[in-house]
Amino acid sequence: MKGVAFDGFKRLRFESMSFVYETGGPLVFEDFTADLPLGKNVFVTGSAGSGQSTLLKILAVLVQPQSGRYYINEFNTTEMSLEEFLPIRLKIGYSFDLGGLMVNRTLRENLMLPLLYHKICGDEEAAERARKLAEEFGFKGQLDMRPAMVSGGLRKLITVLRAFILRPEMAILDDPFTGIGIDAARKVVRLIHERRETGELKHVFLTSRDGSWIRELDCVTLAVGRHSIELQEERAAS
Amino acid sequence: MAAHEDAFGRQSHFSFWPLIERLGRPVVNICAYTWQVWLMIYLSFRAAFYDQAQGLRTVCGVVSAQIYFTGWQAMPLITVLALATGGIIILQSSLQLSLLGGASMIGNLLVVVVVREVGPLITALLVIARSGTAVASEIGNMRVNREIEALEAMGINPLSYIVFPRILGGVISLLCLAFFFNVIALTGGFMVARVTTDLPFAFYMDSLLQAIAIEDVALFFLKNGFSGLIIFVVACYQGLLVKQSPHEVPQVTTKAVVNAIIYVTTFNLTVTALWYLNQLMRLGLWR
Repeated sequence: MKGVAFDGFKRLRFESMSFVYETGGPLVFEDFTADLPLGKNVFVTGSAGSGQSTLLKILAVLVQPQSGRYYINEFNTTEMSLEEFLPIRLKIGYSFDLGGLMVNRTLRENLMLPLLYHKICGDEEAAERARKLAEEFGFKGQLDMRPAMVSGGLRKLITVLRAFILRPEMAILDDPFTGIGIDAARKVVRLIHERRETGELKHVFLTSRDGSWIRELDCVTLAVGRHSIELQEERAAS
Repeated sequence: MAAHEDAFGRQSHFSFWPLIERLGRPVVNICAYTWQVWLMIYLSFRAAFYDQAQGLRTVCGVVSAQIYFTGWQAMPLITVLALATGGIIILQSSLQLSLLGGASMIGNLLVVVVVREVGPLITALLVIARSGTAVASEIGNMRVNREIEALEAMGINPLSYIVFPRILGGVISLLCLAFFFNVIALTGGFMVARVTTDLPFAFYMDSLLQAIAIEDVALFFLKNGFSGLIIFVVACYQGLLVKQSPHEVPQVTTKAVVNAIIYVTTFNLTVTALWYLNQLMRLGLWR
């Protein structure tokens, strides 16, 4: 089974989407219909428990809604197999708010894993990309340590950086700045700006508890509700 | 007890329906669970086949690690178990057969007891205890730590990357361990029994070699191969059932052990029963 022919994100649309977690609880989204903005840095916000992180996971097709449809361009992702979705998946970089590193692999191997698995490049180039990131973010000395041996902040930083290692067109970052430190957060913001300037990165969706980084990224705000979203075109300055 | 009406409208004080309903629910649950396990076997093999990105190097890395943990590291324990089991069985059987005057049948008896029955069962139980628990808790912890989600986010199918190599490695390990168990139990066990018995080694080996038939090889692969498949699929399945909390990990691990033991023993019993029914039919003793 082959992947679909994909030439970039042109439309993200939810139609009558409903979602509830397998573990139970109330409906997070109910009959949710919306078109999401593209080409911007989008700060996804809402009241506590309103489903910002869940929306990011659905956007990245890591969870599937129980009913309704989620379209990326003309593709209904709710009906696609993993193999069919793979070309789109490789254009999405996703970072978790917590966890997500392979604990039996070193930080270097964690960073190199998607590159080597998908044969994006050879061993040497993958190692070089990991080394460059480590030098830039100042953890070169810990590259060969396993996640359990480094600080929580560094673990979080690695998951954020791994989202960028495949040079994605869309980055979906769930609370990327909390816990990584001011210096690293500033460098992540710079990385996003650089990737945008080169044209590699076109769409960014993120949640954050820290509004200052949102201002630095010049984000538009997307308020998430149970049935729809509200796009606030003014930049997220508050 | 409340009165029930039967099909003819007569009043009855006893009804089978509640009993059947009570029996029916566990049966339906067992069938549903078995279906899910089979589905996972199919999906993991399908994923491994269709996953164009996953190279042989990736699969071989995990398979060899699984063989190392499940097969190689279990060898000291399986050696002790095989020596003890073989020694006991050879000692008892040679004594009893000598008393009955059938010492030449010792090879047949040992092949039946060790190769066909005890070997597959003990090896499977050992692998369940050592590796089934390890795999279930490892995958459960991966779920808690969001490693499975992270793999999906990187475009790596967990069924082909995590499940398939563990099943393959587990089956290979179990076949090797069972072969090792048989060799040690039959030869090493004789050495242990030699202390108290005067059975000549050449006579013993000749009797064994004459007793082993091609059917035993088929039975060996069927029982051990399938047990390996059951153990590792059940362990992976239970591990993947963890939703998000670490307290679920010991629960799924325990359930993996219980379910794997039930499936393995039931399978071994069924194969043995069918095998002997077939033998009886061939001998014309059962129609």
